[in-house]
Amino acid sequence: MTDTVLRRGAAGRTRVIAWLQEYGVYAAVVTLFAFNAVFTPHFLAVDNFRTQLVQVAPIVIVALGMALVIGTEGVDLSVGSVMALASAVVALYLGYGALPAIAMAVLAGALIGGAGGALVAVVGVQPIVATLALLVGVRGLANVFLPQLREFTNPTLVALGSDSLAGVPIVVIVAVVLTAAVAFLVKRTTFGRQLVAVGGNREASRLSGLPVRRVLLTVYVLSGMLAAVAGVLATSRLQASDPTSLGLFMELSAITAVVVGGTPLTGGRVRVLGTVMGALLMQLLQATLIKHNLPQSWTQMAQAVIILAAVYAARERR
Amino acid sequence: MSLSAGRTARAATLLAAAVLVVSGCAKSENTAASPAPGGSDAQQQVVKTPSGPAGAGCTIDRHGATAFDLKTAVVGFSQSEKEANPFRIAETQSIKDEAAKIGIADLKVTNAQSQFSKQISDVQQLIAQGAQLLVIAPLNSDGWEPVLQQAAAKKVPIITIDRKINAKHCTDYLTFIGSDFVEQGRRAADQMIKALDGRGKVAILLGAPGNNVTTERTQGFKEQIAAKAPDIEITFEQTGEFAREKGQQVTEQLIQSNPDIDGIYAENDEMALGAVTALKGAGKKAGDVKIVSIDGTRGAVQGIVDGWIYGVVESNPRFGALAFETAQKFLNGESIPEKVVISDREYDETNAKDSVSQAY
Repeated sequence: MTDTVLRRGAAGRTRVIAWLQEYGVYAAVVTLFAFNAVFTPHFLAVDNFRTQLVQVAPIVIVALGMALVIGTEGVDLSVGSVMALASAVVALYLGYGALPAIAMAVLAGALIGGAGGALVAVVGVQPIVATLALLVGVRGLANVFLPQLREFTNPTLVALGSDSLAGVPIVVIVAVVLTAAVAFLVKRTTFGRQLVAVGGNREASRLSGLPVRRVLLTVYVLSGMLAAVAGVLATSRLQASDPTSLGLFMELSAITAVVVGGTPLTGGRVRVLGTVMGALLMQLLQATLIKHNLPQSWTQMAQAVIILAAVYAARERR
Repeated sequence: MSLSAGRTARAATLLAAAVLVVSGCAKSENTAASPAPGGSDAQQQVVKTPSGPAGAGCTIDRHGATAFDLKTAVVGFSQSEKEANPFRIAETQSIKDEAAKIGIADLKVTNAQSQFSKQISDVQQLIAQGAQLLVIAPLNSDGWEPVLQQAAAKKVPIITIDRKINAKHCTDYLTFIGSDFVEQGRRAADQMIKALDGRGKVAILLGAPGNNVTTERTQGFKEQIAAKAPDIEITFEQTGEFAREKGQQVTEQLIQSNPDIDGIYAENDEMALGAVTALKGAGKKAGDVKIVSIDGTRGAVQGIVDGWIYGVVESNPRFGALAFETAQKFLNGESIPEKVVISDREYDETNAKDSVSQAY
């Protein structure tokens, strides 16, 4: 009798954890949202949602690339520096017009992603080491290109950061479109299947004839391009290019969003919507603490608690 | 493996080529061009407290150094942070310009890139290279013992600028030249009181946490508000980490949740400029929210001209003239006080337009 109760209790606990893994991040976002709706003045306002979404957009875009990389059991630490590089390149090429400058920035991101991907896929360097080298080096490169903050007035670029289409900021539209594209890539394309397979078991994938190197390389190139897009958007919002501080610690925010969103660091699985929710949760948390005028140290501790909870839930998977 | 090594080499060559291409045909927006800071019309520093109490000063006899000619001497300057913000750029430039002006032939300049251990070894290198005078912009105030011992053994006088070193006056260092950050905070408060007629709600964009500049600029501001304008309420204080982007993000949150805010005190110009972008984005008009900040960079002074910023208290980075003047006085046998406090200017709508070209 006690035995069955115990067993049922254990089964219940497993079920709870499984549910948390699947929907925990959504539940957390809803809870925090409800808390703010009740206790934070002026929270339920269109302007507020706009502010939160605009601020979270660059993090979401970077985290999408990060989720793909983590899906292959890798990590990309260079994303923050790539943002800075994209910002510098945009400022340097603005003389040709906004679109060519943005294209150059995304190309630069692709090149850095390609370099990281080549180190991982071809040379066989550990992803954390390869992209750590890029984290340091690319920030330096960005500072060489543009040693100091530079303001710009290019109307197209300024509009990209501050205008809206049908009431929705362009920055947010870009993030939504990219999220849909990445979700489609993961769920509906051969490449998506290959990516997950490579992350789940690289050796088996290789033996069964999957183009492992090409998949890895492509994933890092995509991550670099997404980081560059985020860098361009952040730059357009600031109306200034600031390679010294733009994107600092972005790799950590992105990894946090991915992990909190339920993508396991062991690879083999990519949760796109979960990642977006993870980023949203961290943004909402920070906004809550700022709006209630609590010190920043509280934000950091609260973030730590959420990360630990997410990792704990992930540990019980298997 | 040789195949992949070849491929890597090819990839590396491609990357190097790409870098050349990127820097080679760059063409930036030409509106960004601005005259180099620290030009000849730039405002030099003025001493506010020229001499300390009699007897407390440091003379060359008490210090133990032997007199030398500045022009032929080896002079070392150790900068703390990368010259990526207007303050550091103007500071280093001012030291170099002044050295050139008075004819110092051998000025050695190092930059610690915000790494304290690098700054220590930088200064040790300078001493090893025979520096007879050291001008240091310290990254930290503590942890200088190894350098101070070496300098004391060789009797090299040390002048620290913009931040202090916690050590013994005269035995360890000659003097500190810098601003009074508490006083800057008080003057910012005075401007805010004037802007709001002594009544309203004010938010503070704090600097980086755990930094004496942040602490002192906050302390001075709050003291002055409490003493002079009890009807001004400080309803919000969050860190913007001295960065423009963070200043913008925090201000966006602030004006959304506290739409009745009347004034913003930014502890440096970068955060103030971020706040301006946030206010513009929220559909506010110039002057709706009064912004007061500290530093006096060109962008912020231009902000006053444009009507977005109410006032700026200067933190003058042009230490060159004063540093070498102090060194010369010391070598001439004059007594040098422990602390040389410089007088900082103030910008508001009455003088901003004429001063933009002199701001750094």
